[in-house]
Amino acid sequence: MKISSSLLIISLAVFATVSCKDKKEEEEVPFDKAALLENVSSNIITPALDDFETKIISLQSSYGVFKNNRTAGNLSLVRSDLIDVFLAWQHVKPFDLGPIRDYGLKAATNTYPCDTAKVLTNIDNGGYTLGSAGNIDAVGLSTLDFLLFRSSSLDFFVNNEDYTTYAEQVINKIQSEVTAVKTVWNNYKSTFVASTGTESTSAFSMLVNEFNRDYELAKNAKLGIPIGKQSLGVALPEYIEARYSGVSLELLDESVSALFELYKGKSGVGFDDYLNHLEKGTLNNEIQSKFNAILSQASVFTVTLEEAISSNPSDLDLLYLLMSEQVVKLKTEMTSSFGVLITYQDNDGD
Amino acid sequence: MIDKRSFGKYIKLDEHVSIAPLVIFRIIFGALLFFGSSRFLINGWVESLYIQPDYFFGYLGFEWVQPLPGNWMYLPFILMLIGSLGIIFGGFYRTSALIYFICFTYVELLDKSNYLNHYYFVSLMSFLLILVPANRNFSLDVYMGRVRPMETVQKWSIGILKFQLAVVYIFAGIAKLNSDWLFHAQPLKTWLQAHHNIPLVGQFLQEDWLAYAFSWTGCLYDLFIVFFLINSKTRRLAYFAVVFFHFVTWYLFPIGVFPWVMIFSTWIFFSTSFHQKILAFLRNFFKKSKQNIQTTASPSLRINSFLKLFLIVYISLQILIPFRYLLYPGNLFWNEEGFRFSWRVMLMHKEGHATFFLKDKATGRELEINNAKFLTVTQEDQMATQPDMILQYAQIIKEHYDGKTLHFGDYKFPIEDPSVHAEIYVSLNGRPAQLFVDKSVDLTEQKYNLSHRNWIEPFQQ
Repeated sequence: MKISSSLLIISLAVFATVSCKDKKEEEEVPFDKAALLENVSSNIITPALDDFETKIISLQSSYGVFKNNRTAGNLSLVRSDLIDVFLAWQHVKPFDLGPIRDYGLKAATNTYPCDTAKVLTNIDNGGYTLGSAGNIDAVGLSTLDFLLFRSSSLDFFVNNEDYTTYAEQVINKIQSEVTAVKTVWNNYKSTFVASTGTESTSAFSMLVNEFNRDYELAKNAKLGIPIGKQSLGVALPEYIEARYSGVSLELLDESVSALFELYKGKSGVGFDDYLNHLEKGTLNNEIQSKFNAILSQASVFTVTLEEAISSNPSDLDLLYLLMSEQVVKLKTEMTSSFGVLITYQDNDGD
Repeated sequence: MIDKRSFGKYIKLDEHVSIAPLVIFRIIFGALLFFGSSRFLINGWVESLYIQPDYFFGYLGFEWVQPLPGNWMYLPFILMLIGSLGIIFGGFYRTSALIYFICFTYVELLDKSNYLNHYYFVSLMSFLLILVPANRNFSLDVYMGRVRPMETVQKWSIGILKFQLAVVYIFAGIAKLNSDWLFHAQPLKTWLQAHHNIPLVGQFLQEDWLAYAFSWTGCLYDLFIVFFLINSKTRRLAYFAVVFFHFVTWYLFPIGVFPWVMIFSTWIFFSTSFHQKILAFLRNFFKKSKQNIQTTASPSLRINSFLKLFLIVYISLQILIPFRYLLYPGNLFWNEEGFRFSWRVMLMHKEGHATFFLKDKATGRELEINNAKFLTVTQEDQMATQPDMILQYAQIIKEHYDGKTLHFGDYKFPIEDPSVHAEIYVSLNGRPAQLFVDKSVDLTEQKYNLSHRNWIEPFQQ
């Protein structure tokens, strides 16, 4: 009994002794996830939503001008505004979380490929509801890409009032949704910043998980699927994002840049700082140089993705390989270093 | 070493002791079972774990255990609720315990993605509850005259429950005697720092010394707590430690009902008089005077020899199974050969990324599998780091494509006997990710059995 009591005392004492042991080491500045969330919210998400809204409003207004005067010149102004919207969207789409997810903004804004047959049927038959689940691939940016950039699109706008109305309604739908989401986001902001826990529903976990999900989506949907990675090497150009405007590679580049920016927290606190704090500076360097390698490989192309599939498949393969290697770094090493949970199940750590 | 006299008493399995601890345990554990099963229903886990998935990862030798169609999967959970009520109130007790055990174990056998040590513990405990006469006092069965009440029970029926609890703690402690846990404070260092925003204490959670303190005290706690609970002199302090320890783990980690199971189950180590007092209080509460009940004369004094043999086998298995990993070469955490059913709790932070490929042998072409098409997020997460699940998933993929003709663009590919490959990277306890499975391995050629898996890449420290 003496032995057992003293063992208990020893075990409690270990707590105290170990406590004192390492105290002398250099005092580190503690990391603060709340600061990271605050930075991401104020300096990344909010500006991204603002910019996206501004761009869609510009598109709305240039479209209004074009609608009243359907010339090739006015159409090209609308087209260039659409590309700006597309690019701005790449900065919003990683944030499919909290109320933004509840709102379904990501799916509504850019589900692709667009079902062009469905779009044309809608236009011919009328009586469609753009917000219905069945029309998810007949609205959004890829639908506008089809309507505005398909060959002889000007003729359709000039000759078909329903066609013109459809495009207008799609633009208005996106605009009203992003405006609504901005309000929702502003109300949610303070909850987001305070939600620093480790459970899968905490803002920090959602941010990390959505960051990974969006990165993988960029890799697979923007590149892997069109170049045939999921189809026994047979390229599937019909799956190319923004196929009609041909800006797919620019969008890929912009999407990766946006994710890299999020990773670095722009110039503020980001995942990079968190990794450095966790003494994972090497991993941080690896991730940053991989991001740079991906971005530089994405800029070697002088043609559209569809053209590159036949003219330069080996460079596309290399780009895909670099993007795949980064998934392991982000999803496995970075995420596990943060101690973030992927699922909501009970867990006993095995 | 600890208390030879009390240890010696367990050997005389047929000695008689008060039934009170057993009755209280029945009520407490029944209530925990009820609570645990309700959580599955309330949290929508029946739907997400057993109705939604298209595929299930059965256990080797138990692949015949299949889910019920659609909403019928709610049935075992409803039966579990009924069974746990039967256990709490001691009504149709043995049948209730049997129903609970069968339903719970059935559900657990469906999919190893959901394996948790504490679910295994619940299975074992509900099995032991079938054997012990916990309904022989203060129960509906006694009230209804279904069984004759008893004041005492043979010692083994409480001893076996204590043994099971001791196994959980002591093996969990032994499992912590490894260098990651003791000398790198992993995975606790990773898990604790993630809580640095907790008010007041949060700032300390990213300190190294705290991670080491937690690791070492956790290990010592698991190894020795049972002995301190057995010893009446240290019991009070030890139980304070139990509550503190499990409360902290409940607060910091998503381990479900397990902390509560341990906080309340350990009451079984308390003195007979403690349990008798609670029982008296409960009797008083239900206004049932003890005198109304006629107790029987002592039941047979000798333990049935079949039962004795059974207990010896059970106890031996419980002690041997956690050591079966010694039969395998290589790193246990990496290869996970002999990992489950061994009380290795909170030991690993293992994260993996698995890319699977289907290869058409005729053309040599390959396609990358979108795991989300086949698996739920939980299943994919679990599969990516567990070799036996990797083989099972490779079979799922093969069976899905074998004999199909795939159309891509203008091409048609009749798929016959395809091979399945995977490139998998895994990060273990904060280490950089390393190659776990190489793409050159045809996973469909690998045997799914208990022998050593040499297609797993060796672990690099």
